[in-house]
Amino acid sequence: MRRESLRDLFIAAVALAVLLVLPVLFPQPALRDFLVYVIAYGLLAMSLNLLVGLTGLVSFGHAAYFASGAYSFGLLMQSGHFSVPMAMLCALAGTALLALVIGAICVRLKEIYFSFITLAFQMFIHSIILTWVDVTGGDQGLRGGIPRPAFLGIDLSQAGTLYAFCAVVFIVCLLIMRQVWQSPFGYTLRMIRDNPARANFLGVNVLRMKLGIFVLAGTMASMAGILMALFVSGAYAEFAFWTMSGEAIFMIMLGGMQVFLGPVIGAFLLQTLNHYVTIYTEHHGLVLGLVILAIVLGLRRGVADYARDWLAARRTTREAAALEAKPAKKAVS
Amino acid sequence: MSENRGAIGRRMLLGGAAAGTAMLAMPHVAGAQAKVIRVGMPTTLSGRIAILGTSSRTAIRYAFSRINEAGGIGGRTLEVVDRDTKGRPDEAAKITRDLINNDGCEILIDAESSAGSFAVHEVVRDIPVLCLHTNSETSSLTADPKMLVKHAFRCARQGVHDAVAGGVYASAISKERGLKRWMTCSPDYAFGRDNTAEFLIFAKKFDPGIEVVDQIWPRLFAPDYTENITKILQVKPQAMYSALWGGDLVSFVEQANLYRLFGNLTFFSSSLGDPPVASAIKQLPQGIHTAYRYNRNYPAKPANVAFADDFTKLAKHEPTNWAWQNYVACEFIAEALRRTNGRTDPTALSNEISGMELKTAFAVDEAITMRASDHTIIGYPVPWGITIPAAPYVKDFVPVDWAQILEMEQEWKKDKGFA
Amino acid sequence: MNLEVLAGCLASGACVVTQISSGLIVGMLLFLVASGLSLIFGVLGIVNFAHGAFYMAGAYFALLAYEQTASFTAALAFGALAAGVIGVAFERFIMSRVYGHDVLMQLLVCYAAILIFDDLVKILFGADYKLMGMPDAFATAPIQIAGGFVPSYYIFMLVMALAAGLGLWLGINKTRIGKIIRALAINPQMVGALGINTKLLYAGVFGLGCVLAGLAGALAAPVRSLTPGMGLSVLIESFIVTVIGGMGSIPGALVAALLIGLTRSFGAIGFPLFVDGLMFGLMALVLVVRPSGLLGAKAS
Repeated sequence: MRRESLRDLFIAAVALAVLLVLPVLFPQPALRDFLVYVIAYGLLAMSLNLLVGLTGLVSFGHAAYFASGAYSFGLLMQSGHFSVPMAMLCALAGTALLALVIGAICVRLKEIYFSFITLAFQMFIHSIILTWVDVTGGDQGLRGGIPRPAFLGIDLSQAGTLYAFCAVVFIVCLLIMRQVWQSPFGYTLRMIRDNPARANFLGVNVLRMKLGIFVLAGTMASMAGILMALFVSGAYAEFAFWTMSGEAIFMIMLGGMQVFLGPVIGAFLLQTLNHYVTIYTEHHGLVLGLVILAIVLGLRRGVADYARDWLAARRTTREAAALEAKPAKKAVS
Repeated sequence: MSENRGAIGRRMLLGGAAAGTAMLAMPHVAGAQAKVIRVGMPTTLSGRIAILGTSSRTAIRYAFSRINEAGGIGGRTLEVVDRDTKGRPDEAAKITRDLINNDGCEILIDAESSAGSFAVHEVVRDIPVLCLHTNSETSSLTADPKMLVKHAFRCARQGVHDAVAGGVYASAISKERGLKRWMTCSPDYAFGRDNTAEFLIFAKKFDPGIEVVDQIWPRLFAPDYTENITKILQVKPQAMYSALWGGDLVSFVEQANLYRLFGNLTFFSSSLGDPPVASAIKQLPQGIHTAYRYNRNYPAKPANVAFADDFTKLAKHEPTNWAWQNYVACEFIAEALRRTNGRTDPTALSNEISGMELKTAFAVDEAITMRASDHTIIGYPVPWGITIPAAPYVKDFVPVDWAQILEMEQEWKKDKGFA
Repeated sequence: MNLEVLAGCLASGACVVTQISSGLIVGMLLFLVASGLSLIFGVLGIVNFAHGAFYMAGAYFALLAYEQTASFTAALAFGALAAGVIGVAFERFIMSRVYGHDVLMQLLVCYAAILIFDDLVKILFGADYKLMGMPDAFATAPIQIAGGFVPSYYIFMLVMALAAGLGLWLGINKTRIGKIIRALAINPQMVGALGINTKLLYAGVFGLGCVLAGLAGALAAPVRSLTPGMGLSVLIESFIVTVIGGMGSIPGALVAALLIGLTRSFGAIGFPLFVDGLMFGLMALVLVVRPSGLLGAKAS
């Protein structure tokens, strides 16, 4: 277990280094912008996969926490009484509380009904954002920019610094989720996914476990929302719209839900696809729709899952071939 | 098992990232004086308000082709680079940055509607290029001094101007006919609420006898208004104001027709004057009062009719309000470029556009002015007229004096703490 | 909150008639869309998130037929049938490939379908606002019933929706094919073992659901503006109806649709700003208290 953690730490450090070096090698601002979007959406998809891939809870309303993070962080910063880290902590805590309340109701429901109720809560939050204009700015979003005062010598109004900050936060969040993924808690969640009756029989408090991962996933999603709010210097009602949750699910499906980093790969692919398709055609809905169909009907799983299965299949055939080869040799000798 | 999964994932991610980097690391090469001046255009080209983006784009392409055919600007030609933001503000922010950083756009025409325009505004605050907002009517975008960005301008009608004009026009009629009991029916979102509140402020100012007995707020993009229409039948107001627009307004009018709602009711609409809205309604009632959005016969100038004809040929429908606004924005840009000899430096262009009096077919008098103090246009058409069932759908335009609008606007700004 | 006005309305016959009829109109159209959604879920066990696209298809194809033939009957028939044919094709070539996979796959396929349909409509019909128009026969003053007003077109719409609903009910409960469909919902293997082509049945049921959505779209085309993406708000409302009524229950969809319709029409009088919140609230409440919905089969 400890060796694994060390390995994860090492890989995380390398990944962080690569993320930080990339903009130095390719100094175009467009690359940095692109990576920030991959980071924010990747984090959203990764956090959702804690529910979907790990626990088997298909939430249709995950963007609610993304929006909650973005809005509470933006509002706290605009009040002018908070430093960036303080506002981040408060926004995370606030969203965790929100996820706790909503989750306590939702985790009691099973399968498709869980999906429906998370969707209902998300639509409810979206309509609150739209109607509570005095606080949220309604459909026009938080206006006037989100101030980013320097803290500890870090000035986030510098585009390069903001990028590095996002990269660090991203890797730290991934490490935290990796720990959960590998922990006994994570394996308990897999058991709940695969065989809830057995989990219950073994004395696992299924509801409490589900609630725990629901809150954690919500909190991680709000971190993604905070990064997005920092970057676009605003928060918008669209963050809480169902299409946002839909896209997060799509990223998971595109990348793969059984491979830990699958959702990030999905986010990367979707952003790339979106970037280029939008450039070349206004009929991106048509193109994107066809690509989705091709992937769903062709691969029937995410790209990373597909690659993993393919590698595993190749390994088994090789081992099988090796096993067959041995007795053949003996026969000759 | 699971650590193997993770390792594959990481390797793939890094490999993919490298490939993506290579692709992204090829920005458009924009020389100091490239022959083509690229103008970026973030807008909404899909979903329920796709016509906002498509009609804006048609107008810009048409304007640029005319400028280029006339020899361009000192040998340089204009080219529009349009991108669909899908109506998402975060996407608008990203696309705007890409247009500037990656596609070599030296000027921006922001043809987004309200939320998206604020997102674009924040981007150009960070990255200085000349930016003209062409579709956002929300007053605070330019009226609030906190929002001011040196090289960002609004070339679109502004909510408060329309509110004053509407107040002046409606109060004259309400005084004449003794319309006391009023009701409003506007979409439930920030613009609908602001617009309605501003209209009522000025209508009541000029006719204190107006009493608002009820206000209803259907959801934006609601498909059905029957419950709102029957509610109006119950309340029986003498007059009504509605800020419904686009497809919502089309549905509302057609459904209200079934109940013969417009028979005994004096109805004031903010948007029925948009030709595609009026022409979509199968039985447009006679005599609804509407604000001007666009009309081929007003301002009555040959150049305006020519614009309407050419645009209709290209778009297969009459120009929208968005169409003329974007066309005028192109005229502002072209004129500013002529004065800077084709230099696209944002400060130089802003200095030219700020306070510019542009001679255009769409001006009420001679020129539309880009007011230097708050970077928004004045002198554009703000009359009200009444509907007729067939083309050109609106007649008897009654102009409202701009001097009065400016005076009232100043008072409003003081009340809001903007001036 | 304005309960006095609501009480005043309830005391007046004219107001009650107008509001009930407006609730019925909103509710019955919603029922047509929702019953299709519910039927598909009940028999095929999948949630057709692309259902709004078939409503849109019905509206646009009805418009097309009306422009070509100027026959209102042909427009309604063509709109409904075209939606059905597209539905069958969608089921056969796409949806059927993700049966038995997890719900995410189905969701994604539907998401892709929505994206594709919206863009196709924009390419084929343009982005500007459209209305179909209606025959002059309906262009009369609203009919007065006990002092309340009901437009003649809405009476026609109600009759059509009721007829479709009744036909559906009779078809499922009183005919042989209906019996097979009910059996298919409970035990598909058994139905297959009896030598019945289940694939064809699945496609048929999916197509029937889409016909209902298409009919709703065609009926709405004269009074609701047609734009790309118009299916979305209808999808969300009919989805709420289906959940409240019980996934798979057609009588449940009827009850819930009327409940929503009447809540909207009387809510607009009594507590106008709260109507949308109320719908989501009701849906959440139903899911918590009785996840299978008001009339749905109790979940195991």
